[in-house]
Amino acid sequence: MQRRKFNIIPVLFLLPSIALLLVFVYIPLIQNFYNSFFDFSVFSQTKTFVGFENFKNLLADKAVSVGILNNVKYAIISVILQVGFALVLAYILEDKLFHRVAPFLRVVYFMPVMISISVVALLFGFVYNPQMGLLNSFLELIGLENLKEVWLGNPETAIYSVIAMSQWHSIGFVTLLFIVAIQKIPKELYEAADIDGAGKIRKFFSITVPQVREAIFVNTLITITGSMLVFNEPYILTNGGPGFSSTVLSVHMYQTGFVKDNMGYASTLAIIIFILTAVLALIQIKLSRTGKDD
Amino acid sequence: MKKFIAIFMTVLLLALTACSSSAGNEEKKSSDKDVVEIDFFHRWPNEPRKSFYDQKIKEFEDANPGVKINVNSVLNDSYKEKIRVLVSNDDLPDIFSSWSDSFAENLVSSDRIMELDSILAEDSEWAGKLIESQFAGFTFDEKKYGVPFTVDGKAFFYNKEVFKKNNLEVPKTYKEFIAVLKDLQDAGYETPLVEGLTNAWAISHYMGTIFQRVVDPAVTAKDYNVATGEFTDPGYIKGLEIFQELTDYMGDLSTAIDHEAARNMFASGEAPIVYMQFAEVKMVEDQGMTDFGFFDFPEIEGGKGDSKALTGAPEGWMLSKNAPKEAVDFLKFLTSKETAYDFTKTDGQLNAVQGAVDEGNTSPARLEAYELVTNASATTPWFDNAVNINIADIFMRGGQTLANEQTTPEEIMKEVQAEAKRLKK
Repeated sequence: MQRRKFNIIPVLFLLPSIALLLVFVYIPLIQNFYNSFFDFSVFSQTKTFVGFENFKNLLADKAVSVGILNNVKYAIISVILQVGFALVLAYILEDKLFHRVAPFLRVVYFMPVMISISVVALLFGFVYNPQMGLLNSFLELIGLENLKEVWLGNPETAIYSVIAMSQWHSIGFVTLLFIVAIQKIPKELYEAADIDGAGKIRKFFSITVPQVREAIFVNTLITITGSMLVFNEPYILTNGGPGFSSTVLSVHMYQTGFVKDNMGYASTLAIIIFILTAVLALIQIKLSRTGKDD
Repeated sequence: MKKFIAIFMTVLLLALTACSSSAGNEEKKSSDKDVVEIDFFHRWPNEPRKSFYDQKIKEFEDANPGVKINVNSVLNDSYKEKIRVLVSNDDLPDIFSSWSDSFAENLVSSDRIMELDSILAEDSEWAGKLIESQFAGFTFDEKKYGVPFTVDGKAFFYNKEVFKKNNLEVPKTYKEFIAVLKDLQDAGYETPLVEGLTNAWAISHYMGTIFQRVVDPAVTAKDYNVATGEFTDPGYIKGLEIFQELTDYMGDLSTAIDHEAARNMFASGEAPIVYMQFAEVKMVEDQGMTDFGFFDFPEIEGGKGDSKALTGAPEGWMLSKNAPKEAVDFLKFLTSKETAYDFTKTDGQLNAVQGAVDEGNTSPARLEAYELVTNASATTPWFDNAVNINIADIFMRGGQTLANEQTTPEEIMKEVQAEAKRLKK
């Protein structure tokens, strides 16, 4: 009898978070869907219903395809470097050889994460400066003048310059997550492998990688959704330019909404971003079957 | 013990919040009785203008004991965003600064801005001192909605020393201008003309002037209006070609720097010519460069527009529809000859009040600029303020890609025409 009685206490505890989520996440999300069928600006509060017009415009909008492509480039490079390379880096740092210097190096790699992204972007603006920038000066110093480039002004290199900065900024964070995961691996596994005569590379692939599978999944998820939502880096560094060459979806959305005052179309762009990230997250969750015991 | 501290802290916290809220209420009450409050909103939280306006507010309050001015200020881009929010509800400040043309037009379209014709007509002594031509950007449907205060114009700044050394004359026509740029390039200047093309607005300033010179004014008047715009005139393609030709002299690096860097290059003598606003004269002077002159964008051969017009637009003040009578007095105070004279002396920027700029409060270079502004046959608004932002954006981004030779003027115009058609609906 006691069990069947409806227990209000847990519901009460959940209520605040549900209310907050509703007000700040779900209601705006639904409102955004609604807005995407209208054409309106912030000045005039009247909305004109345009049906699927905004969605049709998406297909003709060059900036959208360039933006998606740039987001994909962002994701691919970020996964290779922030998941692949960071895992190797973490493994090296946890190796006995580096036992002494590892704490120091960990701080070194983690330092950029603690700097605000706006500051980092301004700094890299100087690094990429064509006249007195560090990068071009360095290339000159080591005799590679012919590789000098107007990094942010050239449409071919602008987006890669932005991506490179992003990698520098966040690789330390992912490395740290991997270090924690590697430290949790039971030492016995490595000892057994040593007895079997496995080398360091063999141990990496046969023990470390399978053991940190969960961490790899989480980090891939973070980096890919992060790449789809990236805004600060291209916005501050290039503002999407020159032309649209380094724009990404969120920058395009921001400019459509708050610069060009085209709120309806900006809502449509927001939906595209939402769908892309949601689908990617679903695929990854399906693929790696987390949450279930092995 | 722990419990005691916790209770103590809670009581303390409650007491504090209670105190502060009651104090706030009292203040409001007393002010409601006999003091008129004016909300004043401007866009200069930076020096020297912030202290200038704080000082002027104090002077006004001392002279008018029954008036209290609540001042608030945020910088440029944030100002644009904030005023947009404020104008969409009833919290619009009583008096605030505004740009002219499309920015002002957007605000006026909210129906919350006071129409000033009768106020201007009533006090002809005050209104007569304001330079009439500067009202154009605040006039919509033949009604004036703003009072111009600062004036500005865009001209090529050139390094007089470099011109003398290379025996160059100030160019009068576009052909001569290109010849000058070529000579400078031959003389070893990698970037005879410099601009920060990462700033889209810098591109729009070029385009606005070029189109004004090349295209028939009747055509631009029709095209710049969203309801009738078509952009089919071949003059636009010619204009973009001219812009592209100019970027050839800007060097690779112009695509990667901002306007401020370009200005610094001019001030350091590295680049001999740059297209800048008169508002920037003081910044160049402060960097130690004093031997420079100006020339308006040269006449383009075969152009259909007025070749003596100057690109530039004033900034000024607007009143909210519900502003009290005292706000009008404050507006008159802000745009009086005395205030304007002090303003130019403190800040350096030129103003739209007659007789408020002379040798006493400005430098010879700025006086020369002032004459260019007041003698211009007409003023052309900034391009990004003159056309719909969606159109301007295509031109501005197009300008960036033109400089990189990634696109052609024809392609840009095709995009513009499509957008104009979409906006017309």
